[in-house]
Amino acid sequence: MQNNLLNELWQISGRLHPLVVHFPISLLWVGLLLECIAWRKKTDQFQSAIGIILWVGTITAALAVGLGFILINQDDYTGNAITIHQWSGMATAILSGLTLYAFISKETKSYRLLLFLTVLGVSFAGHYGAMLTHGEDYLDLTKEEKTQKIALNPSLHVEKLQGEIDPNQKQDLGIEARNILENHCYDCHSIKKSKGKLRLDALEFMLKGGKEGPALVLGHPEKSEMIRRIKLPASDDEAMPNKGKRLTKKEIEILETWVKQGAPWPNQALKSAPSTAAIDQEEEIEENSSAVKKSGSSEDRIINTSETPTKAPEVLNANQLQELNINVRTILAHNCYSCHNATKTKGGLRLDKKEFIFKGGEDGPILVPGNPEKSDMIRRVKLPFGHDDAMPSKGKRLTKEDIAMLEYWIQQGAPWPTGPEKSLYRVAALEPRMPTVPKVEAELNQPIDLFVNEYFKKNKISWQKSVDDKTYIRRVYLDVTGLLPNPESISTFVSDPRSNKREMLVDKLLANNEGYAQHWLTFWNDALRNDYTGTGYITNGRFGITKWLYGSLKTNKPYDTFVKELISPTKESEGFVRGIQWRGTINSSQSTEMQAAQNVSQVLLGLNLKCTSCHDSFISDWKLDDAYAFANVFSDKTLEIHRCDLPTGRMAGYGVLYSSLGKIKETNITAERLVSLADILVQKKNGRLYRTLVNRVWAQLMGRGIVEPVDVMDNEPWSQDLLDWLASDFTANGYDMKRLMRQILISKTYQTPAVGLKEAQMLTASNFVFKGMMKRRITAEQFADAVSQSFFPLYTDSALVKKMLPADIKNDIPFARASLVKNDPFLTALGRPNRENVSTSRISQANLLQALELTNGNKFNLSLRKGAEIWAQKYQTGESLVKALYLKALGREPSFKEITLAVKYIGKKPSVEGIQDLVWAVTLLPEFQLII
Amino acid sequence: MKNHWNRREFLQTTSAATIAALGVGSPIASLMADPTSPIAKKAATADTVILLWMAGGMAHTETFDPKRYTPYEKGMEGNRVLSTFKSMPTALDGVNFSEGLQSVGSVMDKGTVIRSYVAADLGHILHSRHQYHWHTSYEPPQSVAAPHLGAWISKELGPKNPVIPSFIDIGQRFTVGEAEELKAFHTAGFLGNEHGPFLIPDPSQGLESVRPPVGMDMKRFESRNQLYNNLISQSAHGEYGSDYQKESLRRSMEQAYILLNSPESKAFNLSTEPKEIYDVYNTGRFGLGCLLARRLTEKGARFISVTTEYEPFFGWDTHENGHTRLEGMKRMIDGPIAQLIKDLDKTGHLDRTLVILASEFSRDMMVEGRPDLKVQEQVKQPEILNDIKFYGMHRHFTDGCSILMWGGGIKKGHVYGKTADERPCKTIINPVKIDGIHQTIYHALGIKPDTQYEIEKRPFYTTPDGKGKAVQDLLT
Repeated sequence: MQNNLLNELWQISGRLHPLVVHFPISLLWVGLLLECIAWRKKTDQFQSAIGIILWVGTITAALAVGLGFILINQDDYTGNAITIHQWSGMATAILSGLTLYAFISKETKSYRLLLFLTVLGVSFAGHYGAMLTHGEDYLDLTKEEKTQKIALNPSLHVEKLQGEIDPNQKQDLGIEARNILENHCYDCHSIKKSKGKLRLDALEFMLKGGKEGPALVLGHPEKSEMIRRIKLPASDDEAMPNKGKRLTKKEIEILETWVKQGAPWPNQALKSAPSTAAIDQEEEIEENSSAVKKSGSSEDRIINTSETPTKAPEVLNANQLQELNINVRTILAHNCYSCHNATKTKGGLRLDKKEFIFKGGEDGPILVPGNPEKSDMIRRVKLPFGHDDAMPSKGKRLTKEDIAMLEYWIQQGAPWPTGPEKSLYRVAALEPRMPTVPKVEAELNQPIDLFVNEYFKKNKISWQKSVDDKTYIRRVYLDVTGLLPNPESISTFVSDPRSNKREMLVDKLLANNEGYAQHWLTFWNDALRNDYTGTGYITNGRFGITKWLYGSLKTNKPYDTFVKELISPTKESEGFVRGIQWRGTINSSQSTEMQAAQNVSQVLLGLNLKCTSCHDSFISDWKLDDAYAFANVFSDKTLEIHRCDLPTGRMAGYGVLYSSLGKIKETNITAERLVSLADILVQKKNGRLYRTLVNRVWAQLMGRGIVEPVDVMDNEPWSQDLLDWLASDFTANGYDMKRLMRQILISKTYQTPAVGLKEAQMLTASNFVFKGMMKRRITAEQFADAVSQSFFPLYTDSALVKKMLPADIKNDIPFARASLVKNDPFLTALGRPNRENVSTSRISQANLLQALELTNGNKFNLSLRKGAEIWAQKYQTGESLVKALYLKALGREPSFKEITLAVKYIGKKPSVEGIQDLVWAVTLLPEFQLII
Repeated sequence: MKNHWNRREFLQTTSAATIAALGVGSPIASLMADPTSPIAKKAATADTVILLWMAGGMAHTETFDPKRYTPYEKGMEGNRVLSTFKSMPTALDGVNFSEGLQSVGSVMDKGTVIRSYVAADLGHILHSRHQYHWHTSYEPPQSVAAPHLGAWISKELGPKNPVIPSFIDIGQRFTVGEAEELKAFHTAGFLGNEHGPFLIPDPSQGLESVRPPVGMDMKRFESRNQLYNNLISQSAHGEYGSDYQKESLRRSMEQAYILLNSPESKAFNLSTEPKEIYDVYNTGRFGLGCLLARRLTEKGARFISVTTEYEPFFGWDTHENGHTRLEGMKRMIDGPIAQLIKDLDKTGHLDRTLVILASEFSRDMMVEGRPDLKVQEQVKQPEILNDIKFYGMHRHFTDGCSILMWGGGIKKGHVYGKTADERPCKTIINPVKIDGIHQTIYHALGIKPDTQYEIEKRPFYTTPDGKGKAVQDLLT
């Protein structure tokens, strides 16, 4: 009992220090002030007052020092500030004693000097004391932004972070937790100050804890001291933070979740506090390596480069070495390869291969392992732009992070793992894969839906109610035949009570071979660069493949045969690989053989070879020689490899890009090589060919591919399982394109309500999340056909490109369909590409030139006029006309309000002009223009 | 829906559309390249470009770089003939133009003549291919669709006046020979249709492109638009929320309506021009094209191309009767071009308008291609001229061509480069190539030399690999 009382007294006296210090500070200041006045006024009227002030000041200074020593042993202060404060405080007490002595001894000069020094001392000590109490940056007006304002991540929902969470979520949670700690705790519990011997700026310190034991028990928020304390009411002695703002409920919840999840600690450097060595955890290295590959962002890198120059090399494990190597190679690839590679070897230096990097260039070695300061490479990247030696001499400079990474790497001894180098780029698997279809669930039984369901569950997306019959029938019609359903079909379908009517509708439409061929011809014309007019025809340098293509679609030619016939062509299908030949000399990267290589790889394999047909690619591992070997297969003469249009003197070999698929038959006869190539490419084991196809079909029907862009099949799909299953199922079932479409069209996934995006680029954004059908705009051809069908034909039979089409085409068509006519300004304005180059997606964004064509273009407006003349004869009343138009064009009855508005415009007895304008307005409604 | 669109709003929505247009598989904007680039963006000296296109190959020795004149005599040696016209003085001391171009000569105190343009070697001559190269600075074919110079400018600077399309192409019909090859470069390529040319094949019919459809008066046009807006608000489509397809459609329709209803559209009506001025311009479609270009420039156009029109074996494409044909061509261009420069100068627009006259290559009587790199001869041209139809420059010559430039920061009364005074009359001083010409134009417009877009993950620059330097000596 006695002891306790003493202890408390002891504690209280310690805490009196901050109170007592104010006496000497203010008194000594006042003393100096009075002394100054006395000195200026040459008076000694203040002498006695100054005497008292000095006495009290000196005594309180000594007292403050004493109390300070008590306090320092109670709370655990560490760091520079406390040392400075302690010594300057003691010095001040001694100085004030000396001042008093000199004053008493009337040593005026020394007394004045000493008084001045004392006041300086007391101010200095006071300042450091204040820093300890109020925080180092108390006087810094900008500190609000620096410390408190680490914005919390609004998209982090802790309620979703229960149970198993993935590494990305862990990472986010860790960052968030650390931000909260930084905002609330680091003033007292970090490298700056460790009150209660506790630091919270690294996980190891938290686990070690302070005087009261560990702050955390991993996985158990309820047992964690830190959580207990932040939840205490502010009045409680043990409540934390004991100064400043309390934590909000949400923040507490985040910290609890974080502890529950094992307190994942982020590797990234803190935003404001000095960095601390974090404990690297194996799994975090893994997740980071994928992050770097995707984003290339220096923030995500595992190795904390900000402190490396002063640190001794640490021992890295194999994963870390691999990671470091990839980081370094990424920096070199992005910044240096373009001048220091096999193609261009400026200064005799190549940086694209290990041996060259270590060999150096004309000016000798560029790096001294273990010694960044002596490495020429580091010197040069650090030079200011414009300096003769500065690198890169063109283009962007390296970022600080990049430089730090290179320095760290050299510091580590410039390690380079042995064995095959890991690719810097994502490369999709070539082999097919047949994932197991997830178990049937509730209403879902189609494999597509079950895979999507898995994806939805993982991404916490719920199924939306399927669209109604009217929406569905319009979608399916436009997707299979490119036409609108007529009013009778709609009403029959809607009133059909059978539960399988949607499947029956799909089957009926897919059985319409002609309609299907006429619609999908447009898609394939774009992709295969097939057009009825265009460059090259004039000099017999281009060949159409329309007859073959139309026939192939009409008979639903199996896709493997389809591909074979494109690559190893007949006279009718040769146009695709023959390319477009312009008169005159051609850049060697645009020879017709190279065009064949580029187009086959882009369209059929979802692979871009365009860079690689000039030089080794900077954005993939493909080499110039690969492109030439592939092009050479198509060539009658062996091609000489040209690098950026300059001959290299080397002749190309033969190759199929993916050597595991097989070897081209060695023969001088091109046709035989092409047979061999076709056989090799269509093998089932070429999963890439079929993934590319199913992804294109999916993109057409759903408005967005499983992989985007659809020509870059090395990109990550939003569902690998779905993509792989679709492709494997496709090859296992006769390469049947209609069967593939049927599966998609009858899936519940296809029947989800259309999702609209605010901006077009969100469609291909890497963080895209699939939620169902995407909103689409009808194509130029669908629009023209829809107007032709529901109102008046935009094209007459004379517009058909008869010479290029099958002789009996007229038997196949309901009217002159837009897919079968030459391109014209009207179709161009609406987005039909000029098919000089492969084109695999259309932009559904409207623009001014398009709107002008629709607003006053002759083609459209004159057709509407002609149609209006006929309709004026046909419909006697305005109301009947409006109803007919709405039914045909929009598949629905007009509302009362719509009838009123329209009839008011066209008149009770409809006028030609009125009809023309009404049809114009209706066909430009978003309701007409979009597929929802 | 608003009928009065505030201009700033318009620009904002346009740029939103521009960014949005970079969607599916299309370029990711590098926007303004690297701000730390050594060649900082120079303040623009021009806002508008007018390109006067001499389609078909204009012989420099017969126009702006005349050499020794040799009159026609039956039985003369073709090799003796360097020019079939006399040289006439211009406003500049010691600088002569060919006879028939005195009016253009009289305004050269306001501009620069470049006598050292060297066209590319593209082998066997195909005019449209060289034209493709001149207009895009890329040689066809390309593995992605290359944008026209005007499309780049449209993309980088946008419209100057939002209701005037930023890229206007006057005078070329696409129904003539090589039409498909012409279409291949009259395009915004991968930059997207939005930046493609607004085509006015016949300037006297220009008004039709910007007024309500044939047979519709303004009143009906307005009420049709009103009906459209009314029906949109009734259409059930609104309930599905907003999306870029719908928003861009409505925005574009609104823009078209504004353009067709705007006072600017009156610029297209050439009949309001005072008769005496109109008559100077009225030498045919090219002359009226110059007039329309001037009127549109005054209203805030960005890029206008006016062509003498390319049609194989017509216009400047003289495979025979070169001398006689050129008399006509000169009559077609001389008065309108001089008047255009004078008019723009008088109103002060010339200060900020860069006017360029150019052709895909030059011609010569004897040399096909260039002296050191002859290509297959495509024109029958006898050594001895026994018929006046052989008197003229009929072969395609790439080694020395003339370009004229006025205004927008170009030096006044300046001559750049030189060709030899004897055959072959090739460039001997200061050769300049197409990438240099393009970079000079971009420089004047304040567009950075390393402007590029990423298409299919590859950087695509305004000039191949960003090469070519602005010719500083042309600029004030």
